[in-house]
Amino acid sequence: MQVMLNAIVSASVILMVGVGFALVFRTARFFHFAHGIFFTIGAYLAFLFKAILGLPLALSALLAAGGAACLGALVELAVYRPLRTKRASPLVLLLASLGVYVVLQNAVSLAFGDDTKSIRSGTVSEGFEVLGARITPIQATTVCASVVLVGVLVCLMRGTRFGKAMRAVADDPELARISGIASDRVLLLTVAAASALAGVAGVLVALDVDMTPTMGMNALMLSVVAVVVGGGRTITGVMLGAILLGFAQHLAAWTLGARWQEATALLVLLAFLLVKPHGFLGATAAKASV
Amino acid sequence: MKSAMLEVERLEKRFDGVRALAGFSCTVREQEILGLIGPNGAGKTTFFNALTGFVRPDGGQAAFRGQALIGLTPYKAARIGVARTFQILRLIRRLSVLENVLLTFPNQAGERLRNVFFRPWTCRRQEAGSRKSAEGLLEEVGLAEKRDDLAEALSYGQQKLLSLVCCLATGAELLLLDEPVAGIAPEMIERILEAIRGLPRRGKSVVLIEHNIGAITQVCDRVVFMDAGAKVSEGTPEEVRNDPRVIEAYLD
Amino acid sequence: MEYVLHILVLIGIYVVLSVSLNLVAGYTGLISIAHAAFYGVGAYVAALMALNWHVPFWLCLLCAIALTGVLGAVVGIPSLRIRDDYFVVATFAVQVIAVSIMNNWTDLTGGPMGLPGIPQPEILGWRISSHVDYLVLVGLLGALALWVSRRLVQSPFGRALKTIREDEVLAQAVGKNVAAFKVLVFVVSAGMAAVAGVVYAYYISFIDPTSFTVMESIFIISIVIIGGAGSLWGPVVGAVVLVTLPELLRFMGLPSGVAANLRQILYGGALVAFMMWRPQGLLGKCAFERKSAKA
Repeated sequence: MQVMLNAIVSASVILMVGVGFALVFRTARFFHFAHGIFFTIGAYLAFLFKAILGLPLALSALLAAGGAACLGALVELAVYRPLRTKRASPLVLLLASLGVYVVLQNAVSLAFGDDTKSIRSGTVSEGFEVLGARITPIQATTVCASVVLVGVLVCLMRGTRFGKAMRAVADDPELARISGIASDRVLLLTVAAASALAGVAGVLVALDVDMTPTMGMNALMLSVVAVVVGGGRTITGVMLGAILLGFAQHLAAWTLGARWQEATALLVLLAFLLVKPHGFLGATAAKASV
Repeated sequence: MKSAMLEVERLEKRFDGVRALAGFSCTVREQEILGLIGPNGAGKTTFFNALTGFVRPDGGQAAFRGQALIGLTPYKAARIGVARTFQILRLIRRLSVLENVLLTFPNQAGERLRNVFFRPWTCRRQEAGSRKSAEGLLEEVGLAEKRDDLAEALSYGQQKLLSLVCCLATGAELLLLDEPVAGIAPEMIERILEAIRGLPRRGKSVVLIEHNIGAITQVCDRVVFMDAGAKVSEGTPEEVRNDPRVIEAYLD
Repeated sequence: MEYVLHILVLIGIYVVLSVSLNLVAGYTGLISIAHAAFYGVGAYVAALMALNWHVPFWLCLLCAIALTGVLGAVVGIPSLRIRDDYFVVATFAVQVIAVSIMNNWTDLTGGPMGLPGIPQPEILGWRISSHVDYLVLVGLLGALALWVSRRLVQSPFGRALKTIREDEVLAQAVGKNVAAFKVLVFVVSAGMAAVAGVVYAYYISFIDPTSFTVMESIFIISIVIIGGAGSLWGPVVGAVVLVTLPELLRFMGLPSGVAANLRQILYGGALVAFMMWRPQGLLGKCAFERKSAKA
């Protein structure tokens, strides 16, 4: 039961980070590896606002999400948009995003140091019991936040004009542009939203287990796995991927030991890439056919 | 009566419910040039793809000199003797004209890692021999002076001629040419057709997809008319041109 | 003076690493961020053999090359079925799994504490211990790596690799067994990277997982790209530039932690800049354009 609960908490985090990654992947059609850093940035901005500037937690979290969104938008404007104008291949965009990740992670290290920082307040909570297993308040909040935020996002995407515009750009950017949709603006907002979501996830995880500058790499990895496993085309796919991954990881932790969680996640990824490149519901990773 | 080099029986292929090949059958004899014509979407390129392993048919058979072609990967199909060109021209633009031809020679010792490091003289000797052959081929089609130019520097017509030479250089005995003269100037068309005409004398057979009926009539011994994935008519160019079923299909 | 020699030895090691990655990424067009895994596996194999069984240097080197070569083949296989950007993700996975094993299989690898006390190598009576000795060793190996790369690339094998990079469909259509070429080039590339790993292990006489992480892989691919993918001397130029330039930071009197971060910011930023304005790098031929896929 504890395994199940842990898996659900993990899956919630993976979902929040993964949905953003999947949205950018679907709309802009490349692996935006820099995504992981917005997770880290969210946590560190919250640290900046709460621990350094003394603002209340909720406000800090909000500002952190906003800050992550702005930074995401900046990356899109400064790096991705110019590359898109040059018709860069997805590979070039991926490489550039790797470079962005390296720069930003080191910027965080420079600004805040490599040691672990905390924004937790008060005593370590024992948490409350659910069906024989323990879950802390912050973990519960994480699950709720994940469900709520992703739910809101899904509603926005289905219901609003913007959501439809996003899907149009994802299906055919040229056609979308011709139909009058401002593809560039859609992409900008998509990256910003994805970064904000990742930022929120970062704050929540930091409240659970503190923060280090490299935390984003792990989050990135897991979201990539969830997206590939889930197919990269739909949010439901990412959800399935996140849940599967959460369970696989915690099952591995329970049987093999916590240190093998990472390797398990990646073996799952490799297995899917090789055997079922479409993931559960999605686009193919296989070579384009003749 | 020349013997059959390629025998195709009832090839089937569906793409998302569309029947690209609907029981297509045909024969290609030794040292003949067969024209394959038909409206757009008739399945001609799909047929080539099926023969060369780029697409796996859902049913039917194809045999090249008795060897089954279906199920072979593209490179194996090329190695047993069936090579092709592409409707959208494919060349290695960053390599020179000569290198593009050298690239396609079969059985190159220098392509085996072992030989590159442990038998350098064998490789060098073979490469020199290949060079001579390649230059000879380029000489025959009038591209010899361009041999050191990058492939991208050639005109479109010259590039198409080069891709034909490359196809020939593979040593394959059945050459599948997909629209070899589409979109190029008349003088160039004549040069390419001249080259194609000379292929049977070298022991090759050719299947030629073209929309240019004049070219087909000039060069082909026989013609097959294809529509909606199936063979509609077959015979000499005149016979097919005058076949009422063909006229009807074009008017449709 | 010792410091300058140290930098030169590092340049030599990175030359071998980048020349080997260039074979796969520059000439065959298969971008990989698993190279530090090959580097690390080579180092660990040699270190373990030397420490546990006192195996002589040349045998450690051969075994490291062989085992890493096998890993190279394993990494090469996904490239047969997966498209290039997804393939980068697959190499990312292999890289992180390798480091995870280095960190967690403590009984074998010493875990995060690493393997200290690697003995000095000896080749035919020549004891390699000083910086100058290592410089000579690395110089010879670097030259060898360049020679191997040059022979490979200028041969029909190399021509086939370039064809695969430019147009894999055409390569198949003219009878090239693309799968075999891809796996073989990975084997050679991994084996060469293992050589760099072995030298590194003996040189520093201590190895731990932190030298072989994904960030290191990103550094090596940056060298290849910035120097110029697909050119013979590109990797050398890239290695010289990316190893020496950040070292200049030390002369500015910055604390080493800060210098380390700045160094990474420099090469990360350079990677982004080159991708935006000069993807073919300083000397390069290959600019990673979109490939046509339909027949």
